[in-house]
Amino acid sequence: MSDTLTAPPSAASGPPAGPGQRPRRVVEALWLVVPYIVSVVLAFVVGGLIIAAIGRDPFAAFESVLTTSFNTRFGTIETLHKWVPVLLCAYAFAIPLATGKFNIGAEGQLLVGATGGVALGILWSDLPMVLLLPCVLVAGALSGAVWAGIAAFLMTKFQVNEILSTVVLNFISFQLIDYVASHVWPDRGAGHPATTPVGEGALLPGIGQAPPMHTGVLLTVFLVIVIAVFMRRTSTGFEMRAVGANLRAAQVHGIRTSRLAGAGLVVGGAVAGLAGAIEVAGVHGKMLEGMQSNFLILGIIVGLMARGSMLALPFIAFGIAVLEVGAGSMQRTAQVPVEMVLIIEALILLFLLLSDIARAKIRRH
Amino acid sequence: MENPRLEMRGIVKTFGPVTALDAVDLVVGRNEVHGLLGGNGAGKTTLMNVLYGLYRPNAGEVLLDGQPASIGSPKDAIAAGVGMVHQTFLQVDNYTVTENIVLGTDVPGPLRLDLSDAKARIRELSERFGLTVDPDAVVEDLPVGVRQRVEILKALYRGAKLLILDEPTTNLTPQEVDDLFGSMRAMVDDGMSVVLITHKIRETLSVCDRMTVMRDGRRVETIERADTDAEHLAEKMVGSTTDPGAAVDAAALGAVDAEKVEEILSSVGTTTAVAVRDLVVVNDQGHELIQGFELELREGEIVGIAGVAGNGQVELAEALAGVRPLRSGSVEVSGRSMGGLATSTWLHHGVAYVPEDRHRDGILPTASITENLVLGSQRSPQVRRRGLIDWGAAKQRAVDAIAEFSVRANGPATLVGDLSGGNIQRVILARAFARQPRMLILHNPTRGLDIGSTRFVYQQVRKATAAGCAVLLISEDLDEVIALSDRVIALYQGSRAGEWQHGSVDAYAVGRSMTGLGEARV
Ligand SMILES: Nc1ncnc2c1ncn2[C@@H]1O[C@H](COP(=O)(O)OP(=O)(O)O)[C@@H](O)[C@H]1O
Ligand SMILES: [Mg+2]
Repeated sequence: MSDTLTAPPSAASGPPAGPGQRPRRVVEALWLVVPYIVSVVLAFVVGGLIIAAIGRDPFAAFESVLTTSFNTRFGTIETLHKWVPVLLCAYAFAIPLATGKFNIGAEGQLLVGATGGVALGILWSDLPMVLLLPCVLVAGALSGAVWAGIAAFLMTKFQVNEILSTVVLNFISFQLIDYVASHVWPDRGAGHPATTPVGEGALLPGIGQAPPMHTGVLLTVFLVIVIAVFMRRTSTGFEMRAVGANLRAAQVHGIRTSRLAGAGLVVGGAVAGLAGAIEVAGVHGKMLEGMQSNFLILGIIVGLMARGSMLALPFIAFGIAVLEVGAGSMQRTAQVPVEMVLIIEALILLFLLLSDIARAKIRRH
Repeated sequence: MENPRLEMRGIVKTFGPVTALDAVDLVVGRNEVHGLLGGNGAGKTTLMNVLYGLYRPNAGEVLLDGQPASIGSPKDAIAAGVGMVHQTFLQVDNYTVTENIVLGTDVPGPLRLDLSDAKARIRELSERFGLTVDPDAVVEDLPVGVRQRVEILKALYRGAKLLILDEPTTNLTPQEVDDLFGSMRAMVDDGMSVVLITHKIRETLSVCDRMTVMRDGRRVETIERADTDAEHLAEKMVGSTTDPGAAVDAAALGAVDAEKVEEILSSVGTTTAVAVRDLVVVNDQGHELIQGFELELREGEIVGIAGVAGNGQVELAEALAGVRPLRSGSVEVSGRSMGGLATSTWLHHGVAYVPEDRHRDGILPTASITENLVLGSQRSPQVRRRGLIDWGAAKQRAVDAIAEFSVRANGPATLVGDLSGGNIQRVILARAFARQPRMLILHNPTRGLDIGSTRFVYQQVRKATAAGCAVLLISEDLDEVIALSDRVIALYQGSRAGEWQHGSVDAYAVGRSMTGLGEARV
């Protein structure tokens, strides 16, 4: 599947590979991959220097960061469970970005999605799974869509800047879940604002034992395919990419750009809302304060790192999930604060953006 | 030639893989207007930029008055008596003419600018060479023609003995062109040399003493005015001039007088294709730039809109393309009233638009040719299968279009932003024609294109009119408008300022109307 609006073409839709085409294709692929490798290596070098500067062993630190996900079954499952919300929040950022809009509201949409899911999970807790689980997931996606829809409405009707409105909606969502967790369905015994558990039928079934992997992971893999097909094959997906590539030209050729930008925000919100519902149904079994973790910022980092390519998102999100899961064990084994991992992630992004500038300079000649 | 003012020998200049100049020689005598003639991309500007110190050549030497000159910057060039007026000028809009001219020279008096000496000298220069301009006028209030005189005076004020003018007649009316040529004569009579860069054969014939023809970065020939004629130059510049439509093309390219062309491109029908009534269109700031415009286009007819840029052309084109809303009035295409409908509806009703700014309005630069050709029809049944876009079929159509429109590209996956201007225009035309348009709006369709692509555009227009398509040609190139159109309409400040039938067009009358001096206000 190619994605040439945003990334160089891949074999599937390229021209018939004639003589002279294949070396070019390889060169293009190298131009795409090399900056990522260089940026990651540089970020680790700089990060290692910082770790050494605070008197810790960078090699021990990096070993635990990079291997935790793969050494134990527990680490692998935790990584996949992290991958789901990070990736979905990355889509929530990247889909509106394709139309040139910045959704900074993924955490609010995730929380409102979780609220929608948890509400049905508690209210209809007696329903069997075949009915309740789909209801919970759909309610999550719809709630997230509605929440982002507020920003989309303000943007298309009153030209309210979407960055502003999505950030404000995040703060409102904190109040909302606080209210729900401490007044509507509070779990007094939790010692932390949280709702009572959802019904059995609202939980995503697990695969395997000790610990099981929730099937939200499979659902997410399916969603990756759906989104790729959507962006590549549907008219709306094409229009979104066209708007991202050249807003004026898209308008001149009959694309209703503001409507489309609004749709992009709503779809992004739906994906974040689904992430909230999956967190409820797969990880927590309830809604609790702080469940949004740092998924907003990780989603933005992943979305920016992908530099417009929807196809790259799942892979980058996986890399970030590995780092995030490794962070905890790094703190335990090498006494390096977990924040070091966020610094490394930011450095990767920084070097990646710098590589764009360098690449433009080099390629001119 | 004895004692020439300028000699350039074996100048080579490459930009990456592109060889812009391939061992070019140029000799310009004293008291001579020297024409540098060639199509777009021939290398004329690059050659003169080398002389002016903007580019360093890879090889070759420059001699001024017989002495080897080492010119590393425009400053060196000015010191050596070389002045250049570029196609786009850098002026400080809210400064006066005098301030703009003096800017960057050493003005006496460090504390208070005393410009009275400068003003007197500017007056003297402007009288001597017939470059009428008020030294106290603020530049932003002046029309293009006068701003150009300011630029010429700037060079003269700095003591230019050799003046280079790069395509100076673009955007001038025929009257202004005559005045400019008069000034150039006065300069050479005064002992200066002038290099006139142009792609219009007629211009070199009317003012130059000698000319050098360039093509593909090479000098083809240097010849005395007395020894040549339009046909000969056209052949040197364009290649063969005997294929069908060549006379019209030659006129549109400025080889011969456009008014004298009898051949027509179009095949005017009897049915009305487009009717525009009392049209009012506003620009982004809400100013009415088109006021009460009326137009009727028949099937297969070409109507040309002549005008100086900024008289409402963009607004008219966008309104008739359905891109910009109509403030009032009506537009009917094939009997259907289009006002208030979405842009996509206009498109599907057969309105095709080739915008002036190809990069900004015409293409998705980071998308493939295939995707660019789909743009605008992504919801039409031809493109979709079972609700999804059929990229396999789209790619096949792109392969066909690349062949039919001779797009030079590495296949349909080539990114359109990587193509040259001429090839981008071919992609845009391919997309427009794939929809079998009933009305085609062309805005400056050949600006910046090489001769091959320009003629290709004309061929496509011919094909469109043969199929009954009505064409509205909005162009700043008066030769092009006059040569191609069945009717020419002058546009001045958003209204019609005159109309002429093919064969009875007087370029000077059109020029007067374009600048608001015409008697024939309609
Ligand atoms: N700065 C530049 N960088 C790369 N290519 C250039 C540059 N300037 C000119 N060229 C190329 O050099 C050739 C000659 O251009 P130019 O001198 O502008 O032609 P002309 O003035 O005759 O229309 C063209 O192919 C053009 O694309
Ligand atoms: Mg030029």
